[in-house]
Amino acid sequence: MKAAVGLRLAVLGVVAVSLFGALITRLWYLQVLTAPSYQLAAEQNQVRLIPLPAPRGRILDRHGEVIVDNRMSTVVTVDRTALDPDHRPVLLARLAALLGEPVDVVATRLDDRRRNPVLPVPVAEEVGDEVVVAIRERPDLFDPKLVSAHQVAVRSYPHGPLAAHVVGYVGEINDRELEAHHGEGYRLGDEIGKSGVELVHEDALRGSVGFEKLEIDSSGRALGVLGRREPVRGSDVYLSIDITLQRSAEVALVDGLESNRARVDRETGRRYESPAGSVVIIDPRDGGVLAMASHPTYDPSEFVGGISFDLFDRLQDPANHSPLNNRAIQGEYAPGSTFKLITATAALLEGLITPQTTITDRGSIRVGNRTFRNAGSRSYGAVALTRAITVSSDVFFYLLGRSFWEEAANREGIQDTARAYGLGTETGIDLPFEADGRVPDAATRRALHAANPDAFPESRWFTGDNVNLAIGQGELVVTPLQLANAYATFANGGNRLVPHVVHRIESSLGRTVFEAEAVVAGRVDLAPDHAAAMLSGLRNVTSSTEGTAVFAFSGFDQSSYPVAGKTGTAQIAGTHDTAVFVAFAPADAPELAVVVVMEESGFGSTAAAPVARRILEVAAGHTEPIVRDLVATPLAGDEEEVAR
Amino acid sequence: MTLFGGASDPLRSTAKRRDDAAPWRHVDLFIVAPVVVLSVLGTVMIYSATRTPIEQSGGDPTTFLDRQLLFVAVGLVTMAVVATVDYRRLSDGAWLVFGLAVVALVAVISPLGTESKGAQAWFQLGSFQLQPSEFAKPAVIVALAALAARSGGEVSLRRVAQVLAVTALPVGLIYLQPDVGTILVFFAVLGGLLVAAGVKGRHLTVLGLIAVLGVFGMFRLDVLEDYQQARLTAFIDPADDLQRAGYNQNQSQIAIGAGGFAGAGLFEGSQTNLSYVPEQHTDFIFTAVGEELGFLGAASVLALFALLVARVWRAARLSADLLGTLLCVGIMSMLVFQVFQNVGMATGIMPITGIPLPFLSYGGSGTITAFITVGLALNVGMRRFV
Repeated sequence: MKAAVGLRLAVLGVVAVSLFGALITRLWYLQVLTAPSYQLAAEQNQVRLIPLPAPRGRILDRHGEVIVDNRMSTVVTVDRTALDPDHRPVLLARLAALLGEPVDVVATRLDDRRRNPVLPVPVAEEVGDEVVVAIRERPDLFDPKLVSAHQVAVRSYPHGPLAAHVVGYVGEINDRELEAHHGEGYRLGDEIGKSGVELVHEDALRGSVGFEKLEIDSSGRALGVLGRREPVRGSDVYLSIDITLQRSAEVALVDGLESNRARVDRETGRRYESPAGSVVIIDPRDGGVLAMASHPTYDPSEFVGGISFDLFDRLQDPANHSPLNNRAIQGEYAPGSTFKLITATAALLEGLITPQTTITDRGSIRVGNRTFRNAGSRSYGAVALTRAITVSSDVFFYLLGRSFWEEAANREGIQDTARAYGLGTETGIDLPFEADGRVPDAATRRALHAANPDAFPESRWFTGDNVNLAIGQGELVVTPLQLANAYATFANGGNRLVPHVVHRIESSLGRTVFEAEAVVAGRVDLAPDHAAAMLSGLRNVTSSTEGTAVFAFSGFDQSSYPVAGKTGTAQIAGTHDTAVFVAFAPADAPELAVVVVMEESGFGSTAAAPVARRILEVAAGHTEPIVRDLVATPLAGDEEEVAR
Repeated sequence: MTLFGGASDPLRSTAKRRDDAAPWRHVDLFIVAPVVVLSVLGTVMIYSATRTPIEQSGGDPTTFLDRQLLFVAVGLVTMAVVATVDYRRLSDGAWLVFGLAVVALVAVISPLGTESKGAQAWFQLGSFQLQPSEFAKPAVIVALAALAARSGGEVSLRRVAQVLAVTALPVGLIYLQPDVGTILVFFAVLGGLLVAAGVKGRHLTVLGLIAVLGVFGMFRLDVLEDYQQARLTAFIDPADDLQRAGYNQNQSQIAIGAGGFAGAGLFEGSQTNLSYVPEQHTDFIFTAVGEELGFLGAASVLALFALLVARVWRAARLSADLLGTLLCVGIMSMLVFQVFQNVGMATGIMPITGIPLPFLSYGGSGTITAFITVGLALNVGMRRFV
């Protein structure tokens, strides 16, 4: 009996010894064999990295005037996805008490359906330090998973919407951008350049994020700072833009459109709509863009802290004339008579004419069964190249268009010259979403027809098409920048440059990391006497009694600042004409080329040329720079909102 | 009733003039010493695990230290009292004690009891809580030992059924709280007693199979709440579910592993000071030992427990009667299972169940109960000659 009990006790003893053995083995494994990995985990447990956002670099004009700056703003955000409906009233009451605002105001911000539903919603911006301290010190009241108070560097715009289309705007990074920038350290919620220089020079402007290493306890309470890596501010981007010219261009454009709306189109008896337009000024010597205006415009500060879905939609709405679009590089317009620069160049290069070749302009020509007329059916009599440009004789250029297609060795000489001036392809400017325009020829005609036979029923190219092309009509479309660059090419003696808006980039340490230089993309070689004849024609546009822009330039002192220019009036089916004016000055040693395009505004001479004149007065130093605050173009529906 | 001697054994009572058989001469100091060392260490570790959070919320950092010292003092006195009264007389009152325990277990799931952390397991008495399921442990040990000892080393199937029925009553009541951990302790005690009492091998085999099937059944038949299942299975892969059930286990392994061989030093453990391990002063007190005292300290704690268990085993072996043997086996089973389950849970080889580590975990009921059971073992050991 006793022995049996002893045996059973021995069994239990063996069980106990094995269990203790198992525990000791496990302890040895945890505390000796794999201890380092647990020590690492313990260290990570108590450390949290708080990213310190790097202020973006500034954007300045060529003289160092700040166009886009930064300021620090403290925001309080609530993560709606983690908010328990039962906890919501409690949290709202606490936030309202802390912020000193009514509960329903905080609730409205929290429920803002225009905000991205998956990202934390800002319920207060620009809050004071006491709010930050209260939130950080009381995780029991403000669950750190729900409520966060942190500093963000936000964009500020000391000059308002000035040059909005050039500088662009920033916004929260989206999934597509996150994927495209994979491995570059972007995280959800980060800001990224979305358009303009902000987008193109994102890498330079962005800077590098700093970190603060905090010791935290298990409830997420920060106990102290273990280390800090300072953020490095992004590089400053200096534009080739001259803020004085930019402001003048924007004001002149918006004023010009406004005053043109009071005028009546004699053909239709209706007032001009003049809803939109664009001005581009470039330096023909280096391709630097001195001013670039697009109307309607928008206020980039609307994007600070996240733009509402509703406003973003309205800024893209064609009914509002898509204010976000930069018409200077995205707008595609028939250039009208401003294209005669190209036709004339082509004819001289091809040897179809010399400056002395004279034709008789009887007001119209017949091609096949169609009659092509001068604008206003005027006839100019004996016309050679210079005068043809000055008076804008369509008949002269119709004949050239016909000759090319029917007689020239190179039947597509006009198109080839257009391409040599840079039309039909992107200029390569350092701005995103540039349009390429179209130089129509037999090939593009076939392609258009194949793609859309209903809109383009004809698949062949006729003499009439070439005649139309010669005066800048038909399927030809150019961007205002392309047109400015073509005239700049002529103005500087034939070097087609790649235009640019960024002049220089300077790192936060003051080192120049990028400097723009003139890049030649092509050449147009005109004999000096040929070029001189064309230049005379362009000079006379603004200065001879016959010039098409002479009224617009009456009283403009050209002795010290001669202006060469060309008007254009492009017919658009179903609506008012597009008014175009292009000029370069001083004509003898050009420092700038300017293009003004105004949609649904009638004649280039009466609508667009006065706008250019006003800008050139400033450039010439004849008048003081225009000083006026710029505002975003009001959107349709804004009044409604005010009324509500 | 007993076959192995007793108070009236003429050979022993007359052997010596000086009463060498007097119980007080045979108090096993190798039982008392580890218990005292473990209790003192326990209060220090409880202080380490609780002082920072209490200080942060503006309380007195020694709150838990003071209370645990009180529990230990009460426990020591209780242990002495329990050791004093001859276990053979104590076992005569076994059914009274068992009855009281059952009544208390019924009362605690009535509106008299208080619910906390999802279990209705406490009586609130002023600022103290009384946990009847803890006190039921020695009651059940005494009752089962008394019942099994009647068989005199040959346990019939009928007796087995009686023993099972006696166990089932408190187990059923505790299941209603619910407190799965304590139920497992009863099963461990039951198993140890059945083996020691001489249950036939084939009966044991069948019971073992039933136990295994029972465990599977609990999972299969959804007897357990989802949170219980999650806690029990999280140990298989804690990394899989770090923020919920696996969080405790993961954090407790980090704390223990981070202690390394020599430990971070008393009051120097970062995980302990920053309260990363939930319930660290109660069920997870071993993590504070592991982090701050390292392998050396943790293994020493296990060595002290091993010494205690070995001495209880010795008392079982040297006991003057089968009742004493079975009492000690029950106590030993309880101690071994609670230590293995608790330390196994903290080190990640056992699932999470709320079982305190005897003498180290904070808590009045658990601490006093541990002293009561050890008092019983002392009781048996010191009376081996009388």
